[in-house]
Amino acid sequence: MTSPLQPATPTTGVDTPGLRRRDLLALAGLGLVAAPVGLSGRVLAAEATGELTWGVHVSLAPTWFDPGEASGIITPFLVLYALHDAMVKPMPGKILAPSLAQSWTISADGRNYDFVLRAGAQFHNGDPVTAEDVKFTFERYRGTSHELMKQRVAGIDIVDPHHVRFRLNEAWPDFLTFYATTTGAGWIVPKRHIEKVGEEAFKKAPIGAGPYKFVSFKPGLELVLEAFAPYWRKSPSVKRLTLRVIPDEGTRLAALKRGEIDIVYSVRGELAEELQRTPGLTLKPALVQGVFCLYFADQWDPKSPWHDQRVRRAASLAIDRKGSNQALTLGHSLITGNPIVPNHYEYFWQPPAPVHDPQAARKLLAEAGHPGGFDAGDYYCDSSYSNIGEAVVDNLLAVGIRTKLRPIERAAFIKGFSDKKFKNLIQAGPGAFGNAATRVEAHLVKDGVFVYGSYPDIDELYRQQAAELDGATREVILHKIQQIMVERVIYTPIWQLAFINGVGPRVGESAFGLIPGFPYTAPYEDITLKGA
Amino acid sequence: MKQYIIRRSSYSLLSLFLLSLTIFFFVRVTGDPATLLVEPGASAADIAAIHQRFGLDKPLWTQYGLFVWSLFQGDLGQSFYYQTPVFELYLDRLPNSLLLAFVAMSLSLLIGIPAGIMASVQVGRFWDGFGKLFTLLGQSLPSFLVGLVLILVFSVYLGWLPSSGAGTPLHLIMPAFALGWYFAASHMRLTRSSMLEVLGSEYIKLARLKGLPQSMIIAKHAFKNALIPVLTLAGINVVVMVNVAVVVETVFAWPGIGRLLYEGITFRDFPIVQGVVIMGGGMIVIVNLVIDILYAIIDPRIRLES
Repeated sequence: MTSPLQPATPTTGVDTPGLRRRDLLALAGLGLVAAPVGLSGRVLAAEATGELTWGVHVSLAPTWFDPGEASGIITPFLVLYALHDAMVKPMPGKILAPSLAQSWTISADGRNYDFVLRAGAQFHNGDPVTAEDVKFTFERYRGTSHELMKQRVAGIDIVDPHHVRFRLNEAWPDFLTFYATTTGAGWIVPKRHIEKVGEEAFKKAPIGAGPYKFVSFKPGLELVLEAFAPYWRKSPSVKRLTLRVIPDEGTRLAALKRGEIDIVYSVRGELAEELQRTPGLTLKPALVQGVFCLYFADQWDPKSPWHDQRVRRAASLAIDRKGSNQALTLGHSLITGNPIVPNHYEYFWQPPAPVHDPQAARKLLAEAGHPGGFDAGDYYCDSSYSNIGEAVVDNLLAVGIRTKLRPIERAAFIKGFSDKKFKNLIQAGPGAFGNAATRVEAHLVKDGVFVYGSYPDIDELYRQQAAELDGATREVILHKIQQIMVERVIYTPIWQLAFINGVGPRVGESAFGLIPGFPYTAPYEDITLKGA
Repeated sequence: MKQYIIRRSSYSLLSLFLLSLTIFFFVRVTGDPATLLVEPGASAADIAAIHQRFGLDKPLWTQYGLFVWSLFQGDLGQSFYYQTPVFELYLDRLPNSLLLAFVAMSLSLLIGIPAGIMASVQVGRFWDGFGKLFTLLGQSLPSFLVGLVLILVFSVYLGWLPSSGAGTPLHLIMPAFALGWYFAASHMRLTRSSMLEVLGSEYIKLARLKGLPQSMIIAKHAFKNALIPVLTLAGINVVVMVNVAVVVETVFAWPGIGRLLYEGITFRDFPIVQGVVIMGGGMIVIVNLVIDILYAIIDPRIRLES
């Protein structure tokens, strides 16, 4: 029944958190067992103590309390990881880690997904998490890609209270990617509670199955959470968490330096250097799934200099990735050479390291008929990241490629990019959830949201992988697509962005960087105070 | 008098109508809020769903009609981002803004009025020069810079004051000073010019000829008369402080209406921006209407002329 697509099927033994039976016996022998044992056999840890305060860079919104409204951006997961839990979700060391689903199997034809729920998992009001909740959550889900998911899922069967089956209309190899990473459809909400209190009340005082429960919220200002001791994976060790919104970056750093807050998000440039220099504070870069690259939008136009692969290669050779990485993100961004797929995504292909060689760039330009360089038109970028654009424009100019930087406000940039309004050069920064296939679809394949032109062989390979159920074969095809992309210099890579954060002296484990590609602190139950 | 009040009230209503029209259409020129609520690459269906949910798929005039109809019912709409009634958000933040405005205004008057008086009685001398410098700095230094310098000195280096947030009197000091300084400068300038005008009047010359001491002339005869325009300006400035302390409230993470407006602008949350502007504009229009009516009651020439 199990297809090769399935991640190593987890077993209770592997996933049972806390001390193992063997450890308990050993401690019992020493007369040291004092901790009470929970109903599920899970050992309850020492009572949570103390509190931690975050300086958050964005305004917290109540919509983030409801996974049913996940809009596809990563920020709400900052709250979801605390309040809620998912059937399967990205966790340390695993992109698809069993959570409320203790295990799952996929039928040979790839059309049935059977999930076994974890015994003992419960919501903050004490109700157990059941198959009814899983079905209700999926049917209630109205966030990003809900139409796509509902079109492809034929039905959900409750086999028993701890066993639920998703039936698909046809095989969909990316079902789990969407269910577990790109949407909120797999983040389980309590059916009975929502039906009892109503949607509005649920949003105002959410009940979830996560490691922290809701205490209070002031829209845009502050969210207070309290440890939920019966959490299945581990009892959180910090009793109270306060997420305070501090919009100004300088003020956030000042608050951290004064000890008013313990963890701070997003401190960049000179402020990050200051954070690094301050005794007692620790810089915590987190590599995110946003990959920056340069897109040659005119490469399909035979009249454009960018049509010549040598010119595109010259542009790539001109970019000093290492230098600007050091200057802008203190060297913490990752230069992978893959222009659109982050290194932790499923089916990521590792290209050779990109080279900075201005001389070779000039030589290639001369061979292509541009010995004195050429006027390359506009360089469009999201104004939030115009600092990266400035560095690249300077690098291009150094080899004779003269461009004008056109920073555009974020929403207008995305709209212009997807409406195919730009020309010449576009600094792209794909940051959506998914895997290599979803990135390829949006950025390489015909009719993709950000695709200005395509190559028939890539389109064909994409079609092949979309119908391929064998994971290994699919990987080969997706690697091939990425290889072609790099060889043809459809894009040239800049780097995979590091999100720079900081922690104060009271924090033991901050949980930054534990989940690959996740910019915030999670899992929350792993966060500790120093000495705890 | 009745006709005068009706005419003035009509002008006020017209102003509010024009304000509603302007803010409604201007805020939409900034772009589509849906693109900020989804990840780059979101499908057209996802964006269309957001448009439908917030009523952005309706024709503009229909949206405007609904907005005005809601206003008449005392409803400022529902925030896109917070999914909470804007009026509720506004009322939540109002006490903080009122408190900040009250303290900032007190500071600005405590600094601006004495400095203005000193400058007016010592024209061309040290205090006048100092006052001019103070005015220049107060009105030309951007409040974000003043705020950050205050945080750096008093929070980071000296460690005397909390850097941000609200809750204790200590939290108020820096934002109130940063906000109050700008207004202190304008109050000082107006006090100085008003005092100079009064000090040059005939009755002051007479008082001097009668041999009254300088301190009594300034305190009893000049200051009282010079204060009227300053207090009028201060009244309007309080309304401005309550509603548009955007930069100061953002730098100090002060939970007031200015920060709410900043959040509305950042997320293209049209109902928040519209609501805050309409409330602020409404307050200013009402204050002006009351002042106009009071002037007309005090001075009959005003209503006869108009």
